[in-house]
Amino acid sequence: MLLFLQSLINGILLGGIYASYSAGFSLIFGVMGVINIFHGEMVMLGAFLTYWIFTLFHIDPFLTVPLSFFSLFIFGYLVQRFVINRVVEAPPMNSYILTFGIHLIVAYTALWIWTADFRTVTTSYSGMNANMGGIVIPYARLATFVLALIVVAGVYFLLYRTEIGRAIQATAQDKEIARLMGVNIRQIYAITFGVGAAITGIAGSLISTYFIIFPQMGLSYTIIAFCVVVLGGMGYIPGALYGGLILGVVQSLTATYLNAGLSGALTFILLFIMLVLRPAGILGKGIVE
Amino acid sequence: MGLKGRVCSRTILLCLLIAWTHGIALGEQKFRIGYADPLTGTFGRDGNLVKDAYNFWAELVNAKGGIEVKGKKYPVELTVIDDKSTAAENARFTEKLITEDKVDLILGGFGSDSVFAGSAVAEKYKYPLVSGAASSDKLFARGFKYYFSTLGKATEEVRGCVDIVQILSPKPKTGAIIGSDILFTSLAAEGYRKYAAQNGIEILHFELFPITLQDYNSMLVKVKQKNPDVLFVGSHLMVAMKTIKGMKEIDFTPKMVTFSYGPTVPDFIKSLGKDAEYVVGASEWAPNLPYRDPLFGTARQFNENYFKKYGRNPDYVEAASAAGAYAIQVAIEKLGITPPVKEEDRVRIMEELHRQSLTTFYGVVKFGAGGANEAHPPVAVQVQNGKLVNVYPKEVAEAAPWYPMKPWKKR
Repeated sequence: MLLFLQSLINGILLGGIYASYSAGFSLIFGVMGVINIFHGEMVMLGAFLTYWIFTLFHIDPFLTVPLSFFSLFIFGYLVQRFVINRVVEAPPMNSYILTFGIHLIVAYTALWIWTADFRTVTTSYSGMNANMGGIVIPYARLATFVLALIVVAGVYFLLYRTEIGRAIQATAQDKEIARLMGVNIRQIYAITFGVGAAITGIAGSLISTYFIIFPQMGLSYTIIAFCVVVLGGMGYIPGALYGGLILGVVQSLTATYLNAGLSGALTFILLFIMLVLRPAGILGKGIVE
Repeated sequence: MGLKGRVCSRTILLCLLIAWTHGIALGEQKFRIGYADPLTGTFGRDGNLVKDAYNFWAELVNAKGGIEVKGKKYPVELTVIDDKSTAAENARFTEKLITEDKVDLILGGFGSDSVFAGSAVAEKYKYPLVSGAASSDKLFARGFKYYFSTLGKATEEVRGCVDIVQILSPKPKTGAIIGSDILFTSLAAEGYRKYAAQNGIEILHFELFPITLQDYNSMLVKVKQKNPDVLFVGSHLMVAMKTIKGMKEIDFTPKMVTFSYGPTVPDFIKSLGKDAEYVVGASEWAPNLPYRDPLFGTARQFNENYFKKYGRNPDYVEAASAAGAYAIQVAIEKLGITPPVKEEDRVRIMEELHRQSLTTFYGVVKFGAGGANEAHPPVAVQVQNGKLVNVYPKEVAEAAPWYPMKPWKKR
């Protein structure tokens, strides 16, 4: 029983990690219909930002979160404003190719600058955990889980309780009408991409404290984010949380009770089933075109 | 300038260009040696170590004027192509080096999967390939004549990490074996199983997992519940780092943890800091071994000069790679082969490598029929106070092993 509970907790915390870096992917797809292939590179950039600030200036990884947020916001805003906006209204294939190109540029530039070394942020409290009746809860993962909840709630608040959020929603629902109502579509796209990048960057910052980071880590994160968002519903922000939790728990229980090798296979079986049976996600609230 | 003048000047330029290129070809004969090696991707870090080792050897040789054949010196020119940690790409680029670039000789890159593919191409074109960073048993079971490795077989490499239990007190009785499912690490896991049985250790859990597995915690929880005395891990650098991170997060401290590869790479201690303490790793070389050769000097000198050049100590895979390149150099010198190297010369080099019993700073290099280095004792090293020290076998031990491992929360 204890093993089951421990595995379940591990799965929920892993789900939190998945949700934390998938929410931005969902937001960007939901508003612009862009499947962002360099999403994982934004996780990598956030992680490396934290790594370097920690290594060079010994600043705690958690204190780098605001810097990660703003840096990645600017990165996302500029990339959308000056690059992706040029193809955003063209057929989706153009944006796939473009974001794939950006994925290669960012990953290989990072490789060139930082080399292929594996890195990780090891602080004095790295790996520390709480033991509650035999169940171990690592603090850093718990913090990421809480962050995932805050991010989803924050994006939800932004979309439904602010002026800019209403403009984003209007753009997502019907960009032509929004344009006629005086919304600057391209500006809205850039802000949305910036927010998506910013929340992904902070997930990267926290990930650097318990995962191994390297310049070419991005693609595997993009694939997981894609799975999470399909499970939770493409473009439906709270879906990132549901999708992350389902995936995390399934993977964790598989690794504990069957074999770690099967957890990857089950992920893709789950993805396949969802795409065939419930393309709008587990709650049916995602976008299906 | 008129049309005539322009034609004239272009002709002169062309002549100069031809003379220049021929000048290089005639005046500066060199040994052109190529290799395909993972410089990016999963094994990018490890592949770069091999590259550093070959560069170290080539610079040392070239500083002396080159490889000396019949009183004349021929410099070495290295070409490396990134196989992006993909075996198929390694085979493709090895073929390119041989058929398009027409290099004189080739060397082996990092990793059993890549070298497995690349060496099949080398065998086809009769190019001897010496590797210092691939040791899966399957590499030596193909009946190849042109494949050599300065490392021993993967299953034997981990022997020191298991035999060490003989000097531990109280002697561990149970163990768990996990490893990623690629060629080298899965064979290392098999090696653990074989030597654990010989040492009377009961294996409570055996599991192979994909190298791409992102999160280890739930797998390690299962191992923790079985409470083994020792955790044996078939690993590369990243697997080793992820395992330590995961063990600490789920608060799992067996009495000892060993890795087939990873702890000897400088990044391991650098990245994990104090969490790397107590970790035991397999090694095939140590700077305090009593070996020497005319090029690199003693094992200790190799270590010191390497540190001067790269600002870090060499990993055993780097020592093995440098020794492999040196073995080819000695064969060339002995046979009196000059560039450009012809096919019959490469056949002679292959035959010489099979005959060779060479003492190097790395140890005795003596290739068996399958190509594996047979004259090599496996060493176990442990991280103690931020440094790697040899702890087994007794002949090379610098310190007694720290045992049992201190629980994470008491560090």
